[in-house]
Amino acid sequence: MRQWFRIVFPRNYSDRQNRAGFLFVLPALLFFGSVFLLPLAQSIRYSFYKIAPGGAKEFVGLRLYEKVLTDPGFWTAVKNTLQLLLFSVPTTVVLALAVALGLNRIVSLRWRNVWAAMYFLPFATSLVAAALVWQWIYDPVYGFLNHALSFVGIPPQKWLQSLSQVLPAIAAVSVWVRIGFDTMIFLAALQSIPEQYYEAARIDGANAFHQLRHITLPLLNPQIIMVCILELIFNFKIFDQVYATTQGGPAGASQTVIMLLYDTAFKFFRFGDASVMAVFVFVTLLVVTLLQWRLFRKPVEY
Amino acid sequence: MNPIAPSTEPSPGAALASRDVYVRWLIALAVACGAIMIFFPFFWMAITSLKTAPEIQRVPLQIAPDHWLNLANYFEVFKRERFMRYLLNSAVVASVAAVSSLVVSSLAGFGFAKYHFPGRDAFFLAVVGIMMVPFQSVVVPLYVWINDLGLLDTYAGIVAPDLVSVFGVFLMRQAIETIPDDYIDAARIDGCSELRIFFSVILPSVKPAMATLLIIKFMWSWNEFFWPMVVISSPEMKVVTMGLMSFTNMYFIEYNLLTAAAVISILPILLIFITLQRWVVQAVVMSGLKG
Repeated sequence: MRQWFRIVFPRNYSDRQNRAGFLFVLPALLFFGSVFLLPLAQSIRYSFYKIAPGGAKEFVGLRLYEKVLTDPGFWTAVKNTLQLLLFSVPTTVVLALAVALGLNRIVSLRWRNVWAAMYFLPFATSLVAAALVWQWIYDPVYGFLNHALSFVGIPPQKWLQSLSQVLPAIAAVSVWVRIGFDTMIFLAALQSIPEQYYEAARIDGANAFHQLRHITLPLLNPQIIMVCILELIFNFKIFDQVYATTQGGPAGASQTVIMLLYDTAFKFFRFGDASVMAVFVFVTLLVVTLLQWRLFRKPVEY
Repeated sequence: MNPIAPSTEPSPGAALASRDVYVRWLIALAVACGAIMIFFPFFWMAITSLKTAPEIQRVPLQIAPDHWLNLANYFEVFKRERFMRYLLNSAVVASVAAVSSLVVSSLAGFGFAKYHFPGRDAFFLAVVGIMMVPFQSVVVPLYVWINDLGLLDTYAGIVAPDLVSVFGVFLMRQAIETIPDDYIDAARIDGCSELRIFFSVILPSVKPAMATLLIIKFMWSWNEFFWPMVVISSPEMKVVTMGLMSFTNMYFIEYNLLTAAAVISILPILLIFITLQRWVVQAVVMSGLKG
């Protein structure tokens, strides 16, 4: 408290310096407070109120939680989101790791940069544009994918219009968008591993697989965990790709949690119900992030 | 590889070397094939944007367009929709977001990196914690407040939650931490005020980080879709990602127009991105996060 008093009423030069420092961070703090913390508190408050489209509020306790959490539509959306995660997260991480290992083995720096740039390119495009271009590739009649598959004798598939294929098809778009980002993180980590480790292992007679299993992967462990968590969060919040292509269809087969939240809040203006979902999303991702911290804290064993 | 390695067994060594070259080529080939597959949707988008409507419905499918310089779709995009206006809207919003983010983040980065005011570490931890709050969890109250302020359907409304990013504070703090304290002290002895130090000592030494933040923030704002969908309802305030959606509202999607619009929307970002890619990669890797 006394320290704060001296910040507000500085007594000497050092106090004035600290006051300047605090004033420098103040705009950012105020912004984050008013755009994240206050609305988060408000979201939690809203989740206990029934809110009429006009703005009239009525306290209903946990009734909205009961309503949303017993709604089969909500759990379908959760199930679809988890299924999307299951398709896209492992695929992205494994492919990105493979690409990073490959890129790391390319000797010519110029070519390595060219290929890396190509993998990274989708990261710069909007998810909407990416999803729409993929929708065209997936087109059941005129799309390129069915055309290409016809050469290996596979009959035309319905992709985004099929109940069973829509989730993998959307997941593939996410993989395409995210693979470059993850590759860059892995590649940077790979390049920081000292070459001596591998030389020592080779002298001890370790083959390429041994080196990967006992040097590269253990040393990459923190990055692998981090990327997995980032991908989980990114894919859990999936909205743009689904909204731009299927809008949750066909027959709700690609309805996701954030899609449902958006529709509930801004199509039907049921702010209370939407806030329950907002709290659900926040708590879920919080648990995932805290789990990440615990995993990170554990020292990596070699 | 190792000059002092014993060369008692030359023949297995030589065999190993030739196999290494073979493997290296295989890896390079696999990497290249993957890269080309990743690039393919861009190629297909560009190709489709040069075709006419009957051409894209031709069976069997034909890869090359009839005329490589058929830009009719591009003209049609601007005629059919107010696409110029959408581009302008996106440019305004993304520029404001990038510049404001730069100013606030570099100030905050300086404060966190070089001062010892009480509670500094707790505040920084709180900023880190902000990353755990998904934007979708705060969107309803934000919408209500923007509505109360009468900012629905305005630039101010679109840009409001986008003015600062945690990523920016991280990036600038990390960059400013590398500046030696001696420089700052020397400036103080010369009688510089703290703000003057910020402008004439700090900012000139972190130009690469500033450029990176500017680009990345511009890119993210330009590609933003969720929040604009929430606050924008009138056609003339749409941003470019929403503009793309207006080509999908028909029963049959005219993909030749849609891909032309997509090319227009992606191209500015892609060009900036390719030219400055090294910096972007560095920043992304350093922070490993998206705000």
